[in-house]
Amino acid sequence: MDKPDPTHHTKTREKKESLSREERQKQLEFQHEAVVHLNALYNYALHLTMNPSDAEDLVQETYLKAYRFFNSFERGTNCKAWLFKILKNNYINRFRKNSKEPGKVDYDLIKDFYHSIKDSRIDTTEADSDYFHSLLHEEVYQALHSLPEEFREVIQLCDIEGFTYEEIANMVESPIGTVRSRLYRGRKLLRQQLEGYAKKYGFNTDNI
Amino acid sequence: MNCKKAGVLISASVDGELTLIEEQEFLLHLSECKECSVEFDEAKKTKMIIREKIIRFKAPQALIMSVMQLTSFSTKEHEDTLLYE
Ligand SMILES: [Zn+2]
Repeated sequence: MDKPDPTHHTKTREKKESLSREERQKQLEFQHEAVVHLNALYNYALHLTMNPSDAEDLVQETYLKAYRFFNSFERGTNCKAWLFKILKNNYINRFRKNSKEPGKVDYDLIKDFYHSIKDSRIDTTEADSDYFHSLLHEEVYQALHSLPEEFREVIQLCDIEGFTYEEIANMVESPIGTVRSRLYRGRKLLRQQLEGYAKKYGFNTDNI
Repeated sequence: MNCKKAGVLISASVDGELTLIEEQEFLLHLSECKECSVEFDEAKKTKMIIREKIIRFKAPQALIMSVMQLTSFSTKEHEDTLLYE
């Protein structure tokens, strides 16, 4: 019979501990790089699904997948953009397939949505008195959501999330030139919508 | 550069996404054209209004906890195996 190797046990231990250290390293990096974008991801998910519990599921799924594939994340690139892309793919696979027709906006749903989460909202200061500042959160939201999805999406990613054209192009899988022209056209439409609301309040926007 | 061409560039200029040459020509036109300057300021304002008026929500505490758990589960499991081995 073989004599048991006295070093065997310690060797396994060392191997296990170093594996664990590696895993811990990965976790630290993941929390530092990825988990810090939790609020932004939740917001994006909320605007896509319009439903807090679906949004939570989507974010969880995204982080689970992101952690599993964290090794494929190209270090030094924008992690937030990487996460957004994963979230969007998840959303398309899971929700959009069986959703209602695209382009139709249910304004009552938006209203309910805004009212139901009003308490957790962060108010901005409204010092200025020009027509833009008279607009309600809800109206800007409605105006944004009245745009065709391809326009709304790029405006959201650019203006709200602050991504570069290159990052957005990668996310929506279109050339940078397309992103640029969608933003141009989308903003034109959006401006008309916003001015429509402003007129409602009696602001004369003709000279602006 | 004429007003028509400058008008098309306003959107990308607000985002700081013009090429160097485009930007030089665009700024030159702005310095000579009042109308396009006003348009440019309006475009900046529209971008700002979207950023300000669209409400940002904080992720619920339960979600934060569960995401933290997702990423610490495997190590914990690993540590447990080490401990009870
Ligand atoms: Zn001009």
